[in-house]
Amino acid sequence: MEIFSEIYSCYYQVLRHLLCCQKPLTLQEISAQICKEGFGESLLSIIPKLESGAWNLFQKERDLYLSRIGANFLTPVSDLEKSYLKALISDPRIELFLAPQQCNALNKLLKDVPSLWKQEQFRYIDQFTDGDPYQEQSYRIHFQTLLQAQKKRRYVEIDYNSSRGNRVRHYYLPARLEYSVKNDKFRLLAFRKPQCGKAKLAILNLARMQNVRLTERTLDSDIDLNHAIRASYYSEPLKLHIINKRNALERAMLHFANYEKNTAKIDQDAYECLIYYNQSMETELLIEVMSFGPMITVIGNQKFLCSLKKRLQRQMNLH
Amino acid sequence: MSDFQELVKSFSKTREYVRDFFVYGFKTRNEFKHKSPRTYDNERRRLESWLAPYVKKDYVARGANISLAIDSNLMDANPLFRVWKTKSFTDNDIVLHFLILDLLQSGVKMTAEELTERLLTKYEALFDVQTVRRKCNYYVREGLLQKENCKKTVTYFVDNTLVFWLRSNEAVIDALAFYQMAESFGIIGNYLTEQLDYQGNLFRVRHSFFVHTLEDEILLELLHAMNHKESVRLELKSARSECASVTDCIPLQIFISARSGRRFLCGYLMNRRRFRCFRLDSIKNVSSLQMIPEYEELQSKLAQNHCHLWGVSFENPERRHLDKLIMTLQVLEPEESFIVDRLTQEGRGGTVTKIAQNTYRYEIEVFDCNEMLPWIRTFIGRILSLECTAKSVEQRFYRDLQTMYDMYQIENPVEKEH
Repeated sequence: MEIFSEIYSCYYQVLRHLLCCQKPLTLQEISAQICKEGFGESLLSIIPKLESGAWNLFQKERDLYLSRIGANFLTPVSDLEKSYLKALISDPRIELFLAPQQCNALNKLLKDVPSLWKQEQFRYIDQFTDGDPYQEQSYRIHFQTLLQAQKKRRYVEIDYNSSRGNRVRHYYLPARLEYSVKNDKFRLLAFRKPQCGKAKLAILNLARMQNVRLTERTLDSDIDLNHAIRASYYSEPLKLHIINKRNALERAMLHFANYEKNTAKIDQDAYECLIYYNQSMETELLIEVMSFGPMITVIGNQKFLCSLKKRLQRQMNLH
Repeated sequence: MSDFQELVKSFSKTREYVRDFFVYGFKTRNEFKHKSPRTYDNERRRLESWLAPYVKKDYVARGANISLAIDSNLMDANPLFRVWKTKSFTDNDIVLHFLILDLLQSGVKMTAEELTERLLTKYEALFDVQTVRRKCNYYVREGLLQKENCKKTVTYFVDNTLVFWLRSNEAVIDALAFYQMAESFGIIGNYLTEQLDYQGNLFRVRHSFFVHTLEDEILLELLHAMNHKESVRLELKSARSECASVTDCIPLQIFISARSGRRFLCGYLMNRRRFRCFRLDSIKNVSSLQMIPEYEELQSKLAQNHCHLWGVSFENPERRHLDKLIMTLQVLEPEESFIVDRLTQEGRGGTVTKIAQNTYRYEIEVFDCNEMLPWIRTFIGRILSLECTAKSVEQRFYRDLQTMYDMYQIENPVEKEH
């Protein structure tokens, strides 16, 4: 079983789409498809092969290319993919997606297939112990409702226990379900429909949802999630200086991989890293920065620097 | 540059380059000392071709710094998966792929001779039987084709039952969209979703590290050995010192840190009779050696050690069996009671005791308390005392704290009054 094989290559994928399109194609249409799905320079490799007939997969009639293969062509599932599917069936989160009869049917189809891995072969050394209750029926129903709402672009009414202990109910348009590996929890990224004005980005823990109801109301215009995330960032990013001693740069780059950031080399072994964040990320980012100790220096912004100094001052006052 | 090819034969060189650009980044052409400028130019051109939207160039005095700007919180898919789809192939490979599978789509069974004949009559594609048989046998090994032996005749056929089932069950496709971001071997989930022409954007994943995908070939070899209870020979290259070495071990478990973004193989060193972890990104090659009869016994031994492992270290610098750490914290209740929750959820089995009003004690015994320091620092502002049987850990914590006080000009309130 090979993971790096031409059977999964980008070129095969592009060609499959071209070949399954049963109408005769012009070279321009083929080129457009290659540019859309291929790599930057794929056009230079693929077109000459088709024109010369080295890849004898199209019948050429004047300027048109007609696929030689059937419209219902399917690539069979490889053993590697089957083993992967088999491993997923043992994951507790699979029940969020598949009903028990679907799990059984898939298990039956894969009965002679060895699992690519077993759950116990992996150990998350720092995952929190209070993960979401994936086995609870209400949790699974909420998850499915939110998934349907996303696909159908429909609003949901969510009854929610806030972190301050208040019970709130609002209309939201689900944008993404976000899973945290560290917390082993799902959150919903959604837009809250205000009485008037622009929709506001909201982040809700799935485990805190008491009730989720799909409404008939649909989204009438597009909302760009990444634009909304960027708009929620503080205008001034966190500015860090990293001296690359004891692999600090690599550690910092991996550690802060979840944040939008911009890193530049400012001197021999010295780097400046700008991290963009919003209010909901602030506390987690602060403790992550503190975990590095003196290996990284916070230069700004003032708000973040004040929070850090406040923690340090409180620490000094304790001694 | 006339010999430039967008696709590559082997993944290992690519893996190194992508890591260099993605993780280490910020290197100019002159700083890639161990590679020729020509190689660097070709690899850079490939990366730009595969990952164009993510390649960032910064012009500095020494030349252009090239890095990959990939911010996982804004992405619906891992862009580094594209790197896996770059395997080179011959003209025969791609033609036979589509034509053989097309001939067998209906479920019909054919011998290599019949396939060769049909390739000629149906598509005017001339191949010798050996080439067709070789391709069919490769596809049998990969599972794309099934093989049947009947009275010395070998026939090949396609079984599309599973692919039909997957296409008619949208829930599985949703699951694949999730797991390709959240679990190991996401690239395989990505292959499947692409094969099933999935287009959705339903999930985002935090604390999942895109760069891990580059280690999946190594991980596959390791899991193969683990599933067969075999020992392995590891070819290692330290990321920091770049020193190369070879080690034999029994691979037992994969450790993943969701905080630091590192993954490790935990193995048993037979010659030194102890457990040791190896960073997956430092393993350059894996080869299976022999079956280990006492494999399950070693697995149980490792499981017994889990409760004393903070991270990946099985011994402390002072070579004591276990070290004890006690941290006393000020927790102003009720508004700071989330700190007590943090100690329980993140404390990896340590005990948490309320010892006085607004005062809690956290206590644990682990192999190496040095590994705890980053986590302990996250409680700065609340630490009343830190005691450890490894005095070097205590000293390092307080020394680092003093350095931070100096860095940020934090003044002692008592001295301030004077």
